[in-house]
Amino acid sequence: MLRERVAELVSVASGGDLAVPDILAADCTLPALGVTSLTYIRLIDAIEDEFGVDLDLVTDPGAIDTLDGLVTYIAGHTDRTRT
Amino acid sequence: MSGWKRAVAVPFTGQRDGEGPMTWGQRHIWRLTEWLDDGDPYFNMAWTLAVPGRPGLDRVLGALRALLERHESLRTTWEGRTQRITRSGTLTVDLYEAGDRRPLALAKELAEELAAKGFRYDSELPMRCALVLADGQPRAAAFAFTHMAVDAWSLDVIASEWRPLIAGEQLSAPACQPLDLTGLERDCDRELRYWRSHLERVPQRLVDREIEPEEPRYVRIGMESAAAGVAARAIARRCSVSTTSVLGTACATVMADALGRRTAVMQWIVANRHQERTRSMVGTMTQDGLFVLDLPDAPDQGFPAAVRAGHRQALAAYRHACYDPYAMRALRDDCERARGGPIDLSAYFNDGRIVADWPNLPDGDLTELAAKTRTFFVGAWPHVDGTVFFATGQATHTCQLYLLVDTAHLPRETAYAMLAGVEQLLIKNAVKEP
Repeated sequence: MLRERVAELVSVASGGDLAVPDILAADCTLPALGVTSLTYIRLIDAIEDEFGVDLDLVTDPGAIDTLDGLVTYIAGHTDRTRT
Repeated sequence: MSGWKRAVAVPFTGQRDGEGPMTWGQRHIWRLTEWLDDGDPYFNMAWTLAVPGRPGLDRVLGALRALLERHESLRTTWEGRTQRITRSGTLTVDLYEAGDRRPLALAKELAEELAAKGFRYDSELPMRCALVLADGQPRAAAFAFTHMAVDAWSLDVIASEWRPLIAGEQLSAPACQPLDLTGLERDCDRELRYWRSHLERVPQRLVDREIEPEEPRYVRIGMESAAAGVAARAIARRCSVSTTSVLGTACATVMADALGRRTAVMQWIVANRHQERTRSMVGTMTQDGLFVLDLPDAPDQGFPAAVRAGHRQALAAYRHACYDPYAMRALRDDCERARGGPIDLSAYFNDGRIVADWPNLPDGDLTELAAKTRTFFVGAWPHVDGTVFFATGQATHTCQLYLLVDTAHLPRETAYAMLAGVEQLLIKNAVKEP
């Protein structure tokens, strides 16, 4: 499942500080959960490497704020790539 | 009486020697040194460490040996865009007796002396060291490094290893050395695309007016404001961003306002250490990131929204700050040709705090704290590569913020007003709801 996989990437990017179940259950933004700038940089690199999508932090600001935002962005852009 | 006693040799033998192209971080500094005369010490870093406990001279010399053996950057020379690591060699360490001087104070003076002379990049070890003794016991170490070998992050790495190495602990090897990076630094197309997208549209001019400059022309002032720290922390918490993003956005906002701009264009100094493998590496990785922020029409309107946007811009700047500086120069030349003139990127922001978020800030009312804010003159220089340069200090009990300005464009009183403006903007937005 994409959502679980992205949560795993968030956890890895945080150096294990954030646990996958907590990320999946969070009812708040990723920064509010404790995703730091450093974690974001690693996370975006990991997402781009794994899914081949280009995350534009500036023109798609909502995409990186929440787990579901990331999942929606990745799903939308990988679909577009395939079609 | 204090004074020189004798020199001792510290022989070292590392795991390997080697040769390869300079890393991008090394090229970044190298490119800057090419503008300087041979022997210019501008990119030297003076630094000191206290010697903990009473370990004896042999243990301290052993720690120095271990540093040289662990970190290839400390036994590297450079020539013609090539880095060359020597496996073995000898570091000569001068010993001084502190006498009636405080050892660390004497070490600071010695470090400045060691750093006052340029390094011979092609033949000299990139590190010089002297030890200060009191009653025959080493108490402080004075260092000079070339910035080709270390950056501020590296100094923190060395500081963290110093005590355990003196204690004789065996540390695991660093995950990466600069020579290993060259195999990874192949392509920076993504970074160049990011910079091009901005360089094609950012305002070309940073400043419009010229005024009679001071002599020396470049003036640095400072501010110590616990109120700014408390306020920045409150805003960071509310906006779920870092205090770096808050402070950087405040500086960008105030600068743009002082210059009559609605887009702030700055280069942010980026450590480039987000990859796990580079976090324990001694080397130079710092490069410039490009931060571009469109601001609301009035500087004190919508600051929290600007902070959130600034945070995203900062992330974008961080992600695109590792590149081949020569390729970047070619890109800038290309963009400047296409736009018919230079693009002024001489505004900078450097948050070099090693400890984040000022953990020792006092409690108290912001107005009362602000009454204790002080501003001061730091120094003046005839030439600096920067028109506006904001930088943080390392204090953990107050927000130390420095500002260097080119007085040919911004008078000194405007610089003071800008620092005060940063403080006021933060305080105002810390106490009101977004």
